[in-house]
Amino acid sequence: MDLDLQRRRRRAVLAGLTAAVLMGTAACGGSDDGGGGSADGLPKTIKLVSVNPTTGVVAFAGNAANQGYQLAIQEINDSDLLEGSQLELELVDTRSEPQTAAQEATTAIADSEVAAIFGSVSSNEAIAMSPLLQQRGLPVIYTQAGSDGVVVGDYTWRATPLMSSYYPILSRYVEEQGFSSLGVLYTSATPTLQEVGSETVPQMAEDLGIEITASIDIPATTQDYSAPISQVLESEPDAVVALLVGAANVTVMQQLRQAGYTGPVLGNSGASAGNLVPAGADGADMVWPVDFNFQQTAESSQAFVEAYRAEYGEDPLNYAAEAYDAAWFLARSIAAAGSADREAIKDAMVTQAEETFDGALGEGLSWEDGTIVVPGVVVRWTGEGEELLYEGTGEA
Amino acid sequence: MQDLVSVVTLGSVYLLFALGMSITWGTIDILNFAHGSVFMFSAFSASLVLEQTTLGLVPVLLIGVAVGALLSVLIQVLAFEQILRRAKDRRSAEMQILIGGIGVAIIPLAIAQHHTQSNPFGLNASSFTVESLSLGGLRVTNIQVLTVVLALALWAAAAVWLQRSRQGLALRAIGVDAQTAALMGVDRRRLALVTMAVSGAMAGLSGVLFTYSLGAITAESGDTLLVKAFACIILGGVGSMLGVAFGAYLLAAAEVVILTQTNGSWVEAVSFGLIFLVLLVRPAGVFGRKEVRRT
Amino acid sequence: MSDFFSSNLVLVQSTLSGLILALSIQVPLRMGVFSFAGAGSYGIGAYAAGILVLRYEFGALTAIALTVVGTAVIGFLLGAVISKLNGLYLAMATVAFDLIISVVAINGGELTGASTGLFGILTDFTMTQMVALTVAALALVAMSEVGRLGRRVDTVRDDPELAASMGINVRRYRLAAFVVSGALGGLAGAMNVLVRSTVGPLDIGFGLIVLALTMIIVGGSRSWKGALIGAVIFTWLPDLLTVIGEWQELVYGVIVAIAAILLPRGIYGVLQDGWRWAQRTRRDRRAAARGGPVVDDDGGLRPQEDEAAVLAAQAADQPHRELDQLSSRPQGAS
Repeated sequence: MDLDLQRRRRRAVLAGLTAAVLMGTAACGGSDDGGGGSADGLPKTIKLVSVNPTTGVVAFAGNAANQGYQLAIQEINDSDLLEGSQLELELVDTRSEPQTAAQEATTAIADSEVAAIFGSVSSNEAIAMSPLLQQRGLPVIYTQAGSDGVVVGDYTWRATPLMSSYYPILSRYVEEQGFSSLGVLYTSATPTLQEVGSETVPQMAEDLGIEITASIDIPATTQDYSAPISQVLESEPDAVVALLVGAANVTVMQQLRQAGYTGPVLGNSGASAGNLVPAGADGADMVWPVDFNFQQTAESSQAFVEAYRAEYGEDPLNYAAEAYDAAWFLARSIAAAGSADREAIKDAMVTQAEETFDGALGEGLSWEDGTIVVPGVVVRWTGEGEELLYEGTGEA
Repeated sequence: MQDLVSVVTLGSVYLLFALGMSITWGTIDILNFAHGSVFMFSAFSASLVLEQTTLGLVPVLLIGVAVGALLSVLIQVLAFEQILRRAKDRRSAEMQILIGGIGVAIIPLAIAQHHTQSNPFGLNASSFTVESLSLGGLRVTNIQVLTVVLALALWAAAAVWLQRSRQGLALRAIGVDAQTAALMGVDRRRLALVTMAVSGAMAGLSGVLFTYSLGAITAESGDTLLVKAFACIILGGVGSMLGVAFGAYLLAAAEVVILTQTNGSWVEAVSFGLIFLVLLVRPAGVFGRKEVRRT
Repeated sequence: MSDFFSSNLVLVQSTLSGLILALSIQVPLRMGVFSFAGAGSYGIGAYAAGILVLRYEFGALTAIALTVVGTAVIGFLLGAVISKLNGLYLAMATVAFDLIISVVAINGGELTGASTGLFGILTDFTMTQMVALTVAALALVAMSEVGRLGRRVDTVRDDPELAASMGINVRRYRLAAFVVSGALGGLAGAMNVLVRSTVGPLDIGFGLIVLALTMIIVGGSRSWKGALIGAVIFTWLPDLLTVIGEWQELVYGVIVAIAAILLPRGIYGVLQDGWRWAQRTRRDRRAAARGGPVVDDDGGLRPQEDEAAVLAAQAADQPHRELDQLSSRPQGAS
């Protein structure tokens, strides 16, 4: 107990120093908002809640996001950005169900200790939470949840870029390969993939002046793709676009190869995280754009990757990187607000979002309509691992 | 023509899966909603074994069959027998079994979800590899051929077993009138266990075959098939062996035709609309027999 | 108390809409109609109310009223078409109906919001209104369980031939089951979408049928009290189980399975038995103290504490027994 107290006092001294340094940088950045941040404005501990699925169908993303939050909060607490105040993160499980997510959001709203929350990775859960949070004024930052209705006002933010915003960086690959036609398979299981399949890809094709030979919308319950695949291949496209979730990527690669298609397949980040491993050699040459890959070169990204490896002993996934940036954005906003008051944090987020920053997702990150914008990277699955093809320029 | 290959292989997957559900439902009156879970867990167990050692096709299939049979027998002993012993009449027993099955199904699902974090798992560590063959201009894979052959062979074997053997006669007798059958000296419990084991073995077999042919499945894959199998059985008529095959291939044909002839997203509506219409014309399924009473 | 209420608002609301959904499937079951169309009506109700509020700016109560009338009419039409089906064939036809509704929701384009669904449906719908509507619906359902109507419903379920010979129009009762189920399902869906502000295709799938069935079977399938018990348990249980952490799903499954195995008449049945037993013991003890004969449940006299008394007590425990024996006869067309 005594030891703890001592340590805390030493920390307070350190905190003063760091804060001074940080304030200096903030001033350079042209933000005068941080001026209001006096030490007595921030409570000793600031409670945050991560309302994410840790069990159920989307647990893989929820768990990875939570690791990103925890890493960032540990760093923030060590850095004393918050002048000795400690962030305290509570993890609650939505069990991959919208109703539970809404319930947990309501619980957090009712708990006056909670300053802000990290919202669910799942769109279905997020759109159930957002109206409540916006209406009753609790700041929330989501990751992943890519549909409409997630960002509905100044209290709601999303630290994952919309796939439709960076998907067109694939144009360069399509041009390099000299494809002049595409055959598209996409699932209507998620709003994101449905949008990319039915709007973004056709738009991209139009911009490039190439043809879409076939476009098939596959219902969520279909597990065997041999029929739609033969349909698409009959239209003889130069390359196939397959926008499917998780395991379906394995199936579609395997069945495309079985059907005699040998070319590259344009996919989506649902194939990342080693999901293609079960496809073996058949999985090779699936190419997709993603907002983060651990091999990307930006200095701030590499700093994150190293910290993550040191903490968890594995390479970080995009879910963790997004969460990491979300936590830092929130912490900077709290520091700028100089208070754990919900409305003050919201106001600070609005002003913070006008600046660009460097983070796990890359350099020069910005916000647009409450959603983060990143350059993005294009990766290729070699059959064994992800190979970074090129990085986006941020102009897409 | 390639579409015909798709119909036959997809239909065979449905048949193999639905066959196991159909024999327990048509004879010992158990509509087993844990069947999808058994299907998935058999493939999952095989993938766990393959993490440790490399095996060929036959041992992997045997693992699936063994796990499936064992799991189904366990479910029968621990859940369904208990329900039947306590239930006060047949109608409520039917409902209890439905819900009991749904509850039991969550257990293997939760274990697999926990272990895989809902990420896909496959059998790629096996020494058997899926290869394409070209038969007169049509592309098929070795696993597709195997699925079709096994589905039809097992279907025929099950039909003969039910039709010809003494056990089959006893089972059909139970299906028609359980009390009288018991009076005639049919050991209901033993027969039920045998039937559940056979059904589970089929689930396990189809789980492994399906995983090979898709490359990977997730813990939730079994649930999707459950509704479709239910539809196949109903479509053909409960208790009819001819019916279940008819239902499986008709459903597959409907799905493939709609998926390839339209832009796809109405598949489910049309296939379920078809079921709806068939039931209106034939209220007990296409091959349903009137005397097999279902309440 | 109000703190508890506000932090558990969503669960309270879900309990109410879950209860009405469970009733929409329980009512037909109680009439011997194996229909899951209530789940489809729930989907239609949720989307219809959402669209009325969002696209046409109707008030909450008007939207609910229109929706309930609409789903009742759809229930009637559906019933008229498929009421000649029986047992699990009927169940399959209604499952098909439910699944078609979800597909329509996905393919509805702008109107239904495709795979995202509808969101941001904010209205003036209050908790008081929700409670009032729920209680009203519950009261109507409860009325159908007692008295003459209750007995008729029981007969239609247990022995349609007997019912017909008694001059009950069985077909009309079965059709009524579809209408009531449609109205209740629509009400549940409409209320849920108005308090939750969002609905998507995934919210109205097969899982809804499973949830409602679980509530009814574990709670008790013969009475609205059973549905109430089931709705409370299966809305709150998952939330309580979160303390277990990663194995909560497993524990949930074990609980459902055990309840289905051990409680053939549902939790309500157990409570009923327990209450009767307690009442009888008390009366017996009082009677024993007086030394007089024991007055039975049905007003008959019985001698004290002997084997006959125990048997009579057991018989009184199972009021459905006679009807059940009738129902285990082959029923031909039913």
